[in-house]
Amino acid sequence: MLSQQENELLTETNCGTPAGQYFRRFWLPALLASEVPAADCPPVRVKLLGEDLVAFRDTQSRVGLVHEFCPHRGASLFWGRNEECGLRCVYHGWKFDVNGACVDMPNEPPEYGFENKVRITAYPTCEYGGLVWAYMGPADRIPELPKLEWARVPAAHRYVSKRFQETNYLQAIEGGIDSSHSNFLHATVDAFRVTDSYVEKVKSSTNLRAKYHLMDKAPRFTVKKTDYGLVIAVRRNAEEDTYYWRMTQFLLPSHTMIPHQKGLSIHGHCWVPRDDETCWVWTMSWNPDQPLSSEDRDAIANETFVHTQVDPVTFRPLRNKSNNYMIDREQQRTTTMTGIHGFAAQDQAIQESMGAMVDRTQERLGTSDTAIIATRRLLLQEIRGLQQGQEPAAAHHGDAYWVRSCSLLLSRQIEFDEGARDLMKAEVYRCS
Amino acid sequence: MDVNPAHIVTVTDFSSETLQSMIAHLEFSTAFEHLVYREAELDAIWTITGFYLRAAPDSDQRRQVNHLHDGAHQAHDLVADGRPREAAAILRRFL
Repeated sequence: MLSQQENELLTETNCGTPAGQYFRRFWLPALLASEVPAADCPPVRVKLLGEDLVAFRDTQSRVGLVHEFCPHRGASLFWGRNEECGLRCVYHGWKFDVNGACVDMPNEPPEYGFENKVRITAYPTCEYGGLVWAYMGPADRIPELPKLEWARVPAAHRYVSKRFQETNYLQAIEGGIDSSHSNFLHATVDAFRVTDSYVEKVKSSTNLRAKYHLMDKAPRFTVKKTDYGLVIAVRRNAEEDTYYWRMTQFLLPSHTMIPHQKGLSIHGHCWVPRDDETCWVWTMSWNPDQPLSSEDRDAIANETFVHTQVDPVTFRPLRNKSNNYMIDREQQRTTTMTGIHGFAAQDQAIQESMGAMVDRTQERLGTSDTAIIATRRLLLQEIRGLQQGQEPAAAHHGDAYWVRSCSLLLSRQIEFDEGARDLMKAEVYRCS
Repeated sequence: MDVNPAHIVTVTDFSSETLQSMIAHLEFSTAFEHLVYREAELDAIWTITGFYLRAAPDSDQRRQVNHLHDGAHQAHDLVADGRPREAAAILRRFL
């Protein structure tokens, strides 16, 4: 549980709030590079941390991210013309470059020199891992880019999707690091009941998750604070002399990784506040060794795992609140716990059902919520630290993000951090 | 009593044994990780006592559990504030 004051401190990220200041100390995913695919292409709306912005790619292929509304009379620059290294407001012709400078003001006499006095708020951007990232903090505190493995593999080795979620970012993160929910929310009915036919089916499986994840429904949690955030280690009973361990990273300010098994693709998320009641869910799948396999591509196309189909303009999932996530009650009765297709839609349905911003003073937590408690405490510590003038160290140590999630069987005598040390290092073998 | 602040106490009830184990672990907790585990244990006690209070008829025991419920809340907030030994002192009142 949290106090009301703590809940507000963590969840409110608009301009001027403590958590808003904290997020503004990091590079944040802002849009897919493919949303602004070519020089002088149409601008797109972007909302981040409560700020309405417009992104455009100028004639020199630089990406600008500026406040949506023209400082003249407040007209939206979304309607603007992207022309000759600037975005021109179509109301009175004022034009702004990627740095926010007003470079033309045709409705004022040139001798007034007004254009030299006017600026629009513009944020630095960079392209990295197929995304446009934005930095919205003070100009003298520009951080390092996080050295995330998915962003550094060749483009054919990764797939990144973006979806709109109608909840505060924090409850989305809390879903991402909560290992125990997958025994229920993402399970089939057979797996949940651990039926004989299910046990027979997974007995010889080489997929550890399929084999062991559902056999022990009350996993034990261990957390460790790290340079990048937290590693959350979850232990389940496996064979008599072994435990099945799953290691998830929470990387400041809001990245997570799903435990992966060596040899299979890796998946992760970044949860970025759009405003206090909605967030952008970025989902990444990557294979450091080779291009994504046809099985990976099929899972993406068929929405069976972490990606979901979205409206190409709004990024709202096609399975959404307004159509009850296309729930199939017959499938729920016979096959899966939710009757909702795909992990992403299952997560979204449950998280949105909790309301846009959960009242955490009313929760009933237990020891299976240890990872959630740790994440909140770490974020609170970081946010309060910044309030007292302590800059977030992780923002300036991009190398700290060079890690990888993992899952493995370990002897019951071996501690996870010793047994999994090598597996938790990122390695890009054929990085271009 | 076996006390390792890096381990989470199993909290399935609010018996004296459970409280004693929690108090002992609170006394030895210093690191961020330890305090997270202690907070999780106190959350669990608060949850379990809360469920009890919803169902229990008015009685002396109910009133005692109600005090423990409030005490767990106070202790929880002290742990969140980095003061585990003060949290232990609060729980000790309920032994």
